[in-house]
Amino acid sequence: MTDILISAKGLSAGYGAPVVTDVDFTVKGGEILVFIGPNGGGKSTLLRTLAGELKKLGGKVALCGADGDRLSPRERAKKLSVLLTDRPRTDRMTCREVAETGRYPYTGCFGLLSPEDKKAVDEAMELVGAAGLADRDFSAVSDGQRQRVMLARAICQEPEIMLLDEPTSYLDIHHKLIFLEVLQRLAAEKGVAVILSMHELELAAKIAGQILCIKNGRVFRAGTPGEVFTEPVLRELFDLPESLYRRYINV
Amino acid sequence: MSSQKLKSAAVFAGLILLSLLCLGLNVFTGGSGLSVREALDGLFSEGTTAWNIMWKIRVPRALAALLLGGALALSGYLLQTFFHNPIAGPFVLGVSSGAKLTVALLMITAAGAGLGLTSAAMIGAAFIGSMASLGLVLLVSRRVGRVSTLVVCGVMIGYICSAVTDFAVTFADDADIVNLRSWSMGSFSGTDMDSVAVMAAVVPAAAVCVFLLSKPIGAYRLGESYARSSGVRVGLLRAAMITLSGLLAACVTAFAGPISFVGIAAPHITGAMLGTSKPITLIPACFLGGGIFCSVCDLIARTAFSPTELGISAVTAVFGAPVVLAIMLKRKRGEAL
Repeated sequence: MTDILISAKGLSAGYGAPVVTDVDFTVKGGEILVFIGPNGGGKSTLLRTLAGELKKLGGKVALCGADGDRLSPRERAKKLSVLLTDRPRTDRMTCREVAETGRYPYTGCFGLLSPEDKKAVDEAMELVGAAGLADRDFSAVSDGQRQRVMLARAICQEPEIMLLDEPTSYLDIHHKLIFLEVLQRLAAEKGVAVILSMHELELAAKIAGQILCIKNGRVFRAGTPGEVFTEPVLRELFDLPESLYRRYINV
Repeated sequence: MSSQKLKSAAVFAGLILLSLLCLGLNVFTGGSGLSVREALDGLFSEGTTAWNIMWKIRVPRALAALLLGGALALSGYLLQTFFHNPIAGPFVLGVSSGAKLTVALLMITAAGAGLGLTSAAMIGAAFIGSMASLGLVLLVSRRVGRVSTLVVCGVMIGYICSAVTDFAVTFADDADIVNLRSWSMGSFSGTDMDSVAVMAAVVPAAAVCVFLLSKPIGAYRLGESYARSSGVRVGLLRAAMITLSGLLAACVTAFAGPISFVGIAAPHITGAMLGTSKPITLIPACFLGGGIFCSVCDLIARTAFSPTELGISAVTAVFGAPVVLAIMLKRKRGEAL
């Protein structure tokens, strides 16, 4: 439980030109790290790079003690799953089928699901409260339901590390809370290391073990929620004048 | 779950029966006035006129329609999957026209030099043409992400290639040109058993390769990023899809010229019948569906105004184009193209 599952050292990321530079952090099993910061600051770029989706420009990433660059796509997929901001457009796919793609790294050459695979999918769908959606067409359910199915997909991949890019942005408050509750259970019960980005500061403060503030492509501040969520830090991070901060945040 | 399996089983049974029915209809009907009885006898009595009609004209043509129809459907399916766009297809993206151009040039050059052409050379030339067109389309798609632009670009490539082909055909003078002209309009007529043997080697082999990609294609349905995150080697998969699609389209064009709309209509209709886009069921169904679509169209092309024969693309367009319109109207409600 206390092993470091994912760490970055001097990491820089971007599309050709660096967008974020010099990022350091470590996340242990069962821990939740939250990225906060203004839009365009580099949170998504960082998450995509950690996921192996983008080639990193410098520094080191270690996944479960292994060098991130040396893992085959399949090995990586067994250790790490993602929930991105892309909203897949599917054609004639049920919610269950979407979730099932999470079993990809475990199935044989035709992708047929074994009884264990099916059980993992069932459990994940149950956990996120999407069991009732199984046979519905993925393109016909609501955004919130879709997001839950994508989470079930990430869960049934049975990762040690989960990366989520603004997973709660399109959810109403009810589903936001349920979503975050599931993440906390995954961390606490299964020892998953979770990294997510989000804009809801009050919720971030409740679930995060560590916070990384990212602004203009740099780590602006890092620490526990208690250390980070202070007036000077937040005001500078989001460029808030005192009057706005006092009126809307410091209630 | 099990109701989906039942449905798939029923669809497959129907498709196999229909394929056989089409094969039968195409073999036992025609303009030469053979009765079914005579045709059946002709199949087994070598050397008679009936035997010649059956084995030199009808059987190869019927088999070609089934095999090449299947090839077109798979080629279209791969392009639709690749571009995440239901109206992509070898004809719309200019792939067939690219193949047509290189094959026409090869035919004219060979005729000028007095050389015969092997099927392999024709497929090779068609493959170069189809891959060149695909390369252009890909280059454009990298610049502009918009799918509608992609289709417009494909259509333009198609027009340019057709214009150059027509130009070349007009100025080539040879007895072979009569043949070339009907081929460049798209037709299954004139297929012989030797060509069928080549098709029967190339098309099923490519189809099996497509089927073997079922698993990664299944994950690719969620888009590139999610596919990569599940462990798919996306670059490799994309290269394989493009190459196989180009090869299948090339094979069709080399033997039957460019044939429109089958590549879009057949995958769409079979998908709607199955109610799923699971590649492991959709890919074989698509192959059968394409074969049936082409066979029916060829039957109509041969018999509707017999003895005058219609161009196959005229018939496939009549049935295929409305399908494209239906897809576009359906998508308009959901999201922009």
